[in-house]
Amino acid sequence: MTRQKRSHHRLKRAVAPYLYLSPSLVIIGLLMLLPMVTVIGYSFQNSAVLRRDPSFAGLKHYQAIFNDPVFWASLWHTLYFTCMSVIFHMTIGMVFALMLNSDRINPTLRNVLRVLYILPWLFTAVIIAVIWRLLLEPNGVVNSVLMQIGVIGSKVEWFSSPETALHAVTFANIWAGYPLFMVSLLAGLQGIPKDFYEAADIDGAKAYQKLIFITIPQLMPIIISISLLDFIWTMQVFPLIWITTGGGPIYSTEVLSTYTYKLAFSSYNLSQASASAVVILLISLGLTLFYIRYQKAR
Amino acid sequence: MAEVILENICKTYGNNFRAIDQLNLSVEDGEFLILVGPSGCGKSTALRMIAGLEDITSGSLRIGGVDVVDMPPKDRDIAMVFQSYALYPHMTVFENIAFSMRLAGKPKAERRKRVDEIAKTLQLTSLLDSKPANLSGGQRQRVAMGRAMVREPAAFLMDEPLSNLDAKLRVQMRAEITSLQKQLGVTTIYVTHDQIEAMTMGDRVAVLKGGVLQQVDTPKRLYESPVNAFVAGFIGSPSMNLFEATLKGGALVSRDFSMRLQDAAFVGRPALRSYEGRKVVFGIRPEHLYDSNLESGRKYQTIPAKVTSIEELGSEHIVHLNIDAVRVDSGDPDAAEDFGLASNAVARFEPVSAIHSGSEIRLAVDDTKFHFFDPETHLAI
Repeated sequence: MTRQKRSHHRLKRAVAPYLYLSPSLVIIGLLMLLPMVTVIGYSFQNSAVLRRDPSFAGLKHYQAIFNDPVFWASLWHTLYFTCMSVIFHMTIGMVFALMLNSDRINPTLRNVLRVLYILPWLFTAVIIAVIWRLLLEPNGVVNSVLMQIGVIGSKVEWFSSPETALHAVTFANIWAGYPLFMVSLLAGLQGIPKDFYEAADIDGAKAYQKLIFITIPQLMPIIISISLLDFIWTMQVFPLIWITTGGGPIYSTEVLSTYTYKLAFSSYNLSQASASAVVILLISLGLTLFYIRYQKAR
Repeated sequence: MAEVILENICKTYGNNFRAIDQLNLSVEDGEFLILVGPSGCGKSTALRMIAGLEDITSGSLRIGGVDVVDMPPKDRDIAMVFQSYALYPHMTVFENIAFSMRLAGKPKAERRKRVDEIAKTLQLTSLLDSKPANLSGGQRQRVAMGRAMVREPAAFLMDEPLSNLDAKLRVQMRAEITSLQKQLGVTTIYVTHDQIEAMTMGDRVAVLKGGVLQQVDTPKRLYESPVNAFVAGFIGSPSMNLFEATLKGGALVSRDFSMRLQDAAFVGRPALRSYEGRKVVFGIRPEHLYDSNLESGRKYQTIPAKVTSIEELGSEHIVHLNIDAVRVDSGDPDAAEDFGLASNAVARFEPVSAIHSGSEIRLAVDDTKFHFFDPETHLAI
């Protein structure tokens, strides 16, 4: 091979991977990076989008949202909503996965339960919101059942009372999201060698000791990965809250996504909305970096 | 330490498949018993029943004089080494070995002392802080042994513990386990499908086929006096050659050859005379067939044979041959591998043998080493 041919071949080999990557890079650039950079730019402008030549605003909009008590309430609600959702998704997912993996349950019943337990996952956020609005209506099924069994004395306005609204939307989100954990943990459980449990049986392990010393450590990589992903996704939940409570009553279910949406499309304060969006982006980015570092460490 | 006694043990699964049928076995205190048989013969099921990991359908099982049929595994005073070792990957070697003591709530200092002692015996001291993933196959095997030893059980149960190791390491571990068992003196029941392990490790060997015990004996007696054609074919590598021939006038007669039997053959087996004029199955081990051109084979009768292939192993030649006789299937599914498509007999020749593939030879047969079996029942005559 001549020297020229060889260098041409080398160049082709060096460029080829980037050519293969280019379609996805173009799409990511156009649909993700460009809007992201634009929004970051808006957050530093006065009257972004609304004026043709917006002036530079510095950190004014960030100051504004950090001085807004509703923003801090939204941040707190987001954290509560997200943490409770992830904890209960994991707990319920784990309990159901253990049940579905158990030999003690009749195989037919197990198959029926598997379908039933996975149902919430099949619904879109809008349908889930509508179902729970109907169920939790003052004259809905939940109130009627709770009153009949004597848990509550009078009808509770679950979504309309500031005391219960945040718990109610969190509950609906927990119901909607546990199947992801259940399915992932079930797959993990099925991958744990049976020998581990048999060896533990011979060593005299009780059921809870097998759970603590074998099952949970074996599932830990899945638990951490799915929890981090769930945390990132749940932080950004919008339709469920928007349709059930719209962030109300009196901001009691306002989360960062509804807060930002209202700034943009109710108040038309797109600059401040962009600043709020950048805050969400930074929190998500922090979690994502943590997730990537964890994955790399594995 | 204790004796393990199985009486009329049966195991029937839900689909009426009988995995173990009337198993009677008595393992002496401190004895090393090997359970051997081809895949699916029920040997692992039998071991798991002794461990309590499988229910016993019927029969009685006593360990150290105590009936353990209805006892959970932890109360049977046994320890088991699994084929996969079942080491917990998230625990260190120390934690793996100390696991049963931790479950039993033993103080940390006691755990440390006991594990250190065992690690010293098994040469694992420097590896106590390592995770199983960082160990070699042999080291993992030793950790599994350590985990069994820490319980100081009445009996060790081992389920094909060497099958995941490469051939060289297997030889080394075979010797290590045997000497460890002798040193500890703990009753051991060891399952394997490898008859070399069976022959080299055990005090006695129990051969199983289709859930039925065929013979329990010392390795030497199993080899020299198999009770049926299955045991004859299963024990020994390469397998014993089994053929059908007619017994006529004190000779084994086939289409192309006739081999005169020595009187001694009838003295030891008076029943053989009753087969006169009838078919009989005769068996001869590969090492009792000789190259008639060599000094070692000159004194024996010869029969015609065709060499189909030769495996030159350096210390010996494994010669695949075709002789004019109907080969009898011993019932061992693995035995078929010893014979090629074109051959029906195997011989072990000295490495000085000059025969070559495709040649027609005279095969010398040591007629004092024949085994005889009934053609219908395959039982030894």
